[in-house]
Order: sequence, then structure tokens, then C-alpha cells
Amino acid sequence: MSEDQTVTIEVDGREIQAKAGQMLIDATDAAGINIPRFCYHKKLSVSANCRMCLVEVAKVPKPLPACATPVAEGMKVQTRSPLAIAAQKGTMEFLLINHPLDCPVCDQGGECELQDVALGYGDDVSRFVEGKRVVMDKEIGPLISTDLTRCIHCTRCVRFGAEIAGVRELGATGRGEHMTIGTYIEKSVDSELSGNMIDVCPVGSLTSKPFRFRARAWELIQRDAIAPHDAVGSNLHLHVRRNEVMRVHPKENDAVNECWISDRDRFSYTALNSAERLDTPLVKTRGEWKESGWHEALTRVASGLKEAGSDLGVLASPGCTVEELHLARKLANGLGSERIETRLRQGDFRTAAGAWLGQSVTDLERCSAALLIGSNVRKEQPIFGHRLRKAALEGCDVSFINPLELEMNYAARQIVTPPAAMAGEVAAVARAAGAAGPLIDQAEVTERHQAIAERLKAAPAATLLLGNLAQAHPDYAVLLTLASALAKATGAVLGQLPAGANSVGAQLVGAVGDGLDAMLAQPAKGYLLMGVEPGYDLWDPAAANAALTQSGFVVALSGFRSESLEAVADVILPVSAFAETSGTFVNAEGTWQSFAGAVSPKGETRPAWKVLRVLGNLLDLQGFDHDSSEEVLAEARQQAEGRQLDNAPADAVTECRLVDAALTRIGDVPIYAVDALVRHAAPLQKTRDAIAAAIYINESEAAKAGLTAGMQAAVTQNGTRVILPVTIDPNIPNGCVRIPAGVAGTEQLGGQFGEVTLEKA
Amino acid sequence: MGFKNAPMTTVKPVEGKENLFSPEVRAEIDSWIAKYPEQWRQSAVMAALRIVQDANGGYLTEALMDQVAAYLDMPAIAVYEVATFYSMYELKPVGRHKVCVCTNVSCMVNGSDKIVDHMEQKLGIKLGETTEDGRYTLKEVECLGACGGAPMFQIGTKYYENLTPELVDSILDGLE
Amino acid sequence: MKVITDYIKSLFLLELMKGMSVTGRYLFKKKFTVQYPEERAPMSPRFRGLHAQRRYENGEERCIACKLCEATCPALAITIEAEPREDGSRRTTRYDIDLFKCIFCGYCQESCPVDAIVETRVYEYHFEDRESAVMTKAKLLAVGEKHEAQIAADIQAQARYR
Repeated sequence: MSEDQTVTIEVDGREIQAKAGQMLIDATDAAGINIPRFCYHKKLSVSANCRMCLVEVAKVPKPLPACATPVAEGMKVQTRSPLAIAAQKGTMEFLLINHPLDCPVCDQGGECELQDVALGYGDDVSRFVEGKRVVMDKEIGPLISTDLTRCIHCTRCVRFGAEIAGVRELGATGRGEHMTIGTYIEKSVDSELSGNMIDVCPVGSLTSKPFRFRARAWELIQRDAIAPHDAVGSNLHLHVRRNEVMRVHPKENDAVNECWISDRDRFSYTALNSAERLDTPLVKTRGEWKESGWHEALTRVASGLKEAGSDLGVLASPGCTVEELHLARKLANGLGSERIETRLRQGDFRTAAGAWLGQSVTDLERCSAALLIGSNVRKEQPIFGHRLRKAALEGCDVSFINPLELEMNYAARQIVTPPAAMAGEVAAVARAAGAAGPLIDQAEVTERHQAIAERLKAAPAATLLLGNLAQAHPDYAVLLTLASALAKATGAVLGQLPAGANSVGAQLVGAVGDGLDAMLAQPAKGYLLMGVEPGYDLWDPAAANAALTQSGFVVALSGFRSESLEAVADVILPVSAFAETSGTFVNAEGTWQSFAGAVSPKGETRPAWKVLRVLGNLLDLQGFDHDSSEEVLAEARQQAEGRQLDNAPADAVTECRLVDAALTRIGDVPIYAVDALVRHAAPLQKTRDAIAAAIYINESEAAKAGLTAGMQAAVTQNGTRVILPVTIDPNIPNGCVRIPAGVAGTEQLGGQFGEVTLEKA
Repeated sequence: MGFKNAPMTTVKPVEGKENLFSPEVRAEIDSWIAKYPEQWRQSAVMAALRIVQDANGGYLTEALMDQVAAYLDMPAIAVYEVATFYSMYELKPVGRHKVCVCTNVSCMVNGSDKIVDHMEQKLGIKLGETTEDGRYTLKEVECLGACGGAPMFQIGTKYYENLTPELVDSILDGLE
Repeated sequence: MKVITDYIKSLFLLELMKGMSVTGRYLFKKKFTVQYPEERAPMSPRFRGLHAQRRYENGEERCIACKLCEATCPALAITIEAEPREDGSRRTTRYDIDLFKCIFCGYCQESCPVDAIVETRVYEYHFEDRESAVMTKAKLLAVGEKHEAQIAADIQAQARYR
């Protein structure tokens, strides 16, 4: 039977249409007929082990599980017949035999599938008088807490790990009554999507550790939001109690994040009330930081900005909202300056291109061949990583050209090469695909390049994606030029995986300029920093620090106190963080998603758009009389109208700047270092993915420099010397050393890629 | 998505996995791998665990299970699941002779309780324990499919049926 | 006729006599006026007075922060905050009952799965400022400690009706 053929079945006397081959439970769900279930989850494989969804099917002597029974023409199903109810009640009685009666202390209480179903199908008195089973809880990391006695063995978490996260971390060991969910050996669950296990668990066996015991489901008010950490634009539900975000859940949106979100989006809310939150304006007078009132601080800022006038530089995080960026650009323009930049981690501005995904998010999982250049997509944009994994499992041929080897959760071809040789590798693939041009013609084509090119050419839907490592590469323009040529030669869609939640929006509202060099090479008279910590959020912290120190006046809009900010700024204005402000993000595919504030701003903080609006008034600039963020958005949208982004570079650049050095730094940004909010989220910083500043180097390179694991070594980059511990990492190619950016200890270092020297400390 | 087409977790092949076991053990595992289609190497996990267990004096260690996982390109937890599921795999050292007594319905009706009591007294250990001299381990198992000869137990690869206390004595004493 | 009977009744003060006979009867009956505060009226074990929080015999507080009392309180008089205690158990860090809001309905006691929050027989209390009308966790536990014997006996007495 073909997939799209429909059959008619009768459920509880009602005729419903279903797709042939569909499982019964899918058909009844679509028709709004409720069948109780525990192990069934629409995004996971069918295991049919909980037996809760038993229904009566005419002409079948025994009840059948609805989740594992395909529909057939003319099937007659009874979900509430005496036989079905008896089967469901029987199942429920068995499930409750070993389930503890600890609902009052269980975090799932009030939103528990077992509780709900027990109310409908459970008996009030148990016939079971023997001792109940007890399972010792396991420590599986800082995000998930376990109460395994409550487990009903639905294995959703195990299947989630195998099928969605792509790492088998949890398993069901033992048999029968002795079966337990766990890791068997002492081990933490480290997947970047692990938090979703909390959602799929139908009982209180896996619960959120940061949320543990802090609130009950019925106290929480649900508000919508958009995730602020990556360009996916995952839809979120914020659960708020007494003006405090208590937890974050995914909001289902099949076009963006399905029903999953990354741990970064789920747990970053913990930073909202961290001790480092800034809640009053700070003004530096004679080198001393003093708390001040808004009026005083704003007056000081206005006079400072007026003085800077047309020599003002605005550095804004790509995680700022459309409204904020629009007003910031307007403010700069009003003062006569055109210098605004949001591409804070881009390493090369020799060509201009509109960086966006180049396709829709759902297209990612439909592609049949993909080549990712300079991307650790799994950690940079976890949900895109998941989409690509889905494609790969359907047979998509995925290849990577990266400066370090990645831990993959699906079969993919990886070309690992030092940063300086990345362009050559892309050129080789381009040559193999039949493109021509400078660099391409000199490229040496090997079998693997040939294989990638052939697959890209043959695939009906191929895509080329440039990731964050490519954007941070000093020869990004060259990589983009080559990728563009390759895309033309193969017919693949060229796309980019933007760095911030609003990178695409920033381009649409014109919050991009001539690049960081133009901003920082010659110190401007005044700087406005928005959501930027100079030591962590910029491509070259050393250069940024130098420029900002020399500048006459630096004002920062920040949600957090930060030493790196206090070292260079003159005034720090506290602004509302994620969840406290309304705004709009444009995600990688170009969807505008607006959200309202969920809680009121903490302390004296104000939404950044309001601060900018008032600054505009204080500076007597025209057009700063918006009453709501919607008005700002309308204005920004009007300006963005008709602006199209094109990933193809404006000029072909083929001159490589990064030359082969004895040792080149690879400065990737770890998943939990991307922005201030994430850096202050304590639970995330305790995970294995929260990588500390260190020198990651392979064994042979370490031996060459006379270094061994655990020892302290001195790194010198552009004359700055920093002492860091050495870690041996076989995933780093020869001639390279990985020193992550955005983490404490690297604030003084230079660009994310560049020549470094190592010596014993 | 049914369980048949559910995506499998892939594991990066471990480097140097060819040298994990002794050549004889490897050859034996390879002969089992060869019985399955190439992409279903993992199907040989049960045979591999048995072979490795036999080569290790009758029990498995975490390190050995990890090696089997590496050799078959499986996630380690999947191997632990198999090893903890089947009662034929031992996760702790056992005695030279593992006496697997069936206590299921047929054997129970025919007096397996008496046999168990007798052996517990004779050897001075409880079910699931090993004698101090490391000679015997007593293990309670589910039906071994020899109900016709109930009560029965299995030692090594051999079934002993229609047991009586006297017969048990002579069997156990006959083992070195 | 009616005129005549009414006349006789009023002439001989019959109504008055009737009334005085009631007074006279009660003059010699056992008195039921209670000389409060020297004397106290009898109380039901279900009396719903001032709240208290109880402890187990080993000194461990009973409350597990399930928040059912907070949810069931019709006057929204209860405010609870909770987090894991150092030993990992679920405990309140704040448990306030605002006695100005409380209507003494007893739902909190009714909903409590561990008999932690109870209403005692205490009805004589006063406040000197608004803040002291809020029973904090410490105050509730202190009340509980003081009256534990009575509380336990009362709960025992009601147990078979619940």
C-alpha cells in the first residue's frame, strides 16, 4: 500500500480517516480520541512495552496495543469497551504495584501522566501487600536528577538517547523486577539535548535538577519566548511563578524545533538571578565604580556620546533583539556615525555577504548530501545538528571540513586539517566538482574530495553550510568564495549557520558595518557596547581591550557585572536580560519571531530598547518617541522591507592571509561560553561540555614542545603571554593547538585563529 | 516509526580494536560475526560475551564488556544490558563448578526445594554464593527446559536429571 | 367571649406568672454560664484554632513542602517556598500563614498528607503589629512543640472519622 492512501476505520462508533500503515494511536490522536499511554511518544520508535494503550479490535480475541497496531480498512475499534477497560485497568494495577506513593514530594506531581491515568483507571486500594521495589538513585550529572524507584520502565529516555540525542547513555539493565534505568557504570549524561529526557519521562523518575523541589506545576504561569542563544530560534515556554522564571520547556513548533530544545536553551534561565546580575547603573568616577541613579548615569552617557559624536562605534551582540539593534543603529546614525557591528566573532571582512541558512530549517532534514565547512553544528546549533542527523539517518551523505575532529552521533566523513589548509581542501572539492578559478586550479584532488563532490552533484537536494568556525577563520572570505564556486558547480544550496540568535535580524536592520578591524584598529572617541563582554565576546579580545582602553568614553549596556567590562567601560547601564524584555529575533531561515517579556525586569534594570529610546531623547535626536517595542518593530520591519540576504560573496577573494605557522591556534567557542547569560548559568557550567580554558594539543605536538598532560604551559599570541594547563587531545591535528575562546583565562589572548607559541611555564 | 526502522546509535570504531583479544578468542568471535550480515555485527554480542566469559574463567568484568562493545562497534551500555539480562552471564567471579538449579514449577512440584536445602547444607552456602575453596557456586535459575527429568540442575554444559539427595552427593563429590 | 378571657388574663397577671415561673425554674436549675477566663467551655477535638506545624518524634519536621495546603487554601493565606535541604530532602525554606487572610476553614489540615499543618485548640492570641499576624515557619513549629500532646490526642480522636 502506498503511503498516502487513506483507509476508513471505525473507532467507538465514529468513522475516521487514517493513512494506510499508520499506527492506530496516531489516527485516534489526530481524531481527538484519547487512549492512555506511557511508552508511546510520537517522535520515538514504538516499543509497545507499557501495555497501557490496549484497545479492543473487532474479530481479534485479545486486546491489542494501539501504538503497535497498524490501521486497516474497515477496522472496528472499541477504546472504552468492557474488554478494553478491563485490560487498561489491569495494566494500571500492575504499574502501580511498584510505584511509590510519594506524589507529595515528587516534582512531577500535578503534571504526571501516571497520576492522570491512575485517576481514570487506577483502583483506590491496592491488592498488592508485598514489599515494593526500591532502586538506588544514580548521579547522572548537574542537569537531571533521578528517582528511579518511580520508574515504570517505559524506556522513553533510552529510546530518546538512541534515536534523538544519538548517544546511548542510559540503558535498561537487569531483567524483570530487577530492571533499572541507568548508566550501569558511574557516568554522567552529557548529551547537549539531555534535558529533553525530563520532558519525555512520563513519571517523576527523571526531573530537572536546577528546578528540583522549587515549585509545583499548578503554581506556574506559562509564557511564550524565543531562545536567545543560537540562530535556531527555538520556541520556548517559560514557566513563571511570582515574577521569577522557574523553568523552561519547549514549545512545540514542527517548523523550527519540533518538541525538543537544547540544554543551553533549557537551563540558561538559571543565570537570571545569579549573584553577578547587575541591577543598578554603575558610573566610574576617578577610577572608582559607584552605583548611581538612572538619571545621573544617563546624563553622563548623553554627554559622553555627544562628545564622541560622529566618532562613535557601536558593538552589539548578535543576541540583541531587532528592536534594540534598530534603535542602536538609529542612535549612531543620528550622531553621524555609520560604525555599528554585530558580527563580533567574524575573522575576515574582506567581502560582504548576507549570512543566512539559505533554506528553511525543515529543508535541512530533507537534504540528501551536505558539506559543512568549519562547523561543529552539534554544539553550535544543537537543533540544526539534530535535523542533520535525521537527514543522515535517512541516507544523507554528510561531510565536514574542520580544523579539529568532532565527536559525531551519526556516520559522517570528516576531513580534519590545520586551519591554514582548510581553503585548500574546499578548493580541492570544488575542483573535483568541475569548478575553476584561482586556488581551485592549484588544488590537489584526492579520492575523498572526489567522493564528496560526486555526492553533492548527484544529490537531488544538496547543501553547503559554513559554520561558526568558518566565520571566525581569518580567511573566511576565501572559504566563502570557494564554497560559492563549489555550490555553483554542484547545484547545492549555499547556506551559513549564523552565530547569534539574531544574526540574520541584525543584517536586515542594518546593524552590520565594515567589520571589526574598521571598528577597533583606530580607537573611536566613544564606544557603545550592547551585551558585549570584551574579553569573551569578541574575535580578538586583546585588540578590543586596547581600542576600548584608549577610547575617550565607553558605555556598556549589560545584564551582568563583569571584570572584563569594568576594566574598559566608563558607565555600565543595567539592562533586562532574556525573559525580562519584549523583542523579536529573526532566526537563521529568516522567520521573524516576536515575544513579550515574561517577568518584570530585575531591580533597576530596564529593557535595552527603552534605554536607547531615552538616550535618543536626551541627545535631542529625531524619531525616538516610540511608546512600545511593537512600534519600534514596525519601524524596523519597514526599513528591512525588501532587503534580501544572499550568501554569495560580493567580491571573490582568493588571497589567503593565514599562512602555515609552526603552531596555529584554533579558538572555537564552546557551547556553554557563547554569551553572558550562558556563562553565568551555574548548572550548565558544571557539565562536561563547559570546557575550561586549556591548551588542547595532540600527543606528538605536545612532545615536540616538551609538554605533558596536566602541566602548566605559557601561550604567547601577538606578544601576550598566558599560562594555561595542558590537555592531550587526539582530535587536534598536527601543527595546531586548540585554545577555546569565550572562557575565563583567555580574555587577554588575540584572535580566535592565529599563530601562537608554547613553552614550559 | 517502528522499532525495526528506528535509528541506531552509531559509535566511532575504536582504533586498535583488532588487538583487543587473544587470537583464538578473536577468531571465534569473528566466526560468529561472519554469520550475520555485515552491518549487523552487533548481533554477535551474545556469542562474543559467552566466548569472552569462558576465556576469563567463567565471569565477565566491566573491562571485558567494554572490549566487546569496542570490538562490535556498540555503545558500552548496550553490552551491559545484554550481560545483565541473561542469567548465563556472570558479573562476579564464580566457582569452578557452577551448579544451576532449576526451581520452576515442574522442578518445584517434584521436590527441587529439598535438593536446594540439601545442597545448601552440604556446601554450607546459600543460593547465589560460592564456597570458600572456590569449588562450587550455587545458582537458582529459571526453567531449563528439562521438565521431563525434574528436579534437575546443570553443571557446566551438562544436565543432571531426576535428582535425589543421594544422587546429588555422588555428583558433587565426583567433581574435582 | 374573647374579650372576657383577655380581661381575666390581664386582671390576674397570668402572662406575668407564666414568665416568672420560667425564671423561677431556672433559678434553681444547674447554671451553664461559664466564668471565662476562670472557667472554660468544653471543646471539640475538631476545634479549628491557631495553626501549628508538627514534628516527628525524632525531631524531624513533618512538612515536606508538597504545597497542597497552599493550593487548597481558599483565602490564599499560605505562602510556601521550597528547595532541597542539604541532605537532599524536600523542605520548605519559607512557610507563612497570614492570619488576617485565614478563614480557619481547616482545608490545609485536611489536605496535608503527613499531618504536618494542623489547627490547634489555641484561640487566645493577639498581635501588636501587622507583621506578627503572619505565622512564620519558626512560630508555627514553636506552637506545635508546645501543644504536641494535645494535637496528637486530637488527631487520634478524629482518626476513625476520616
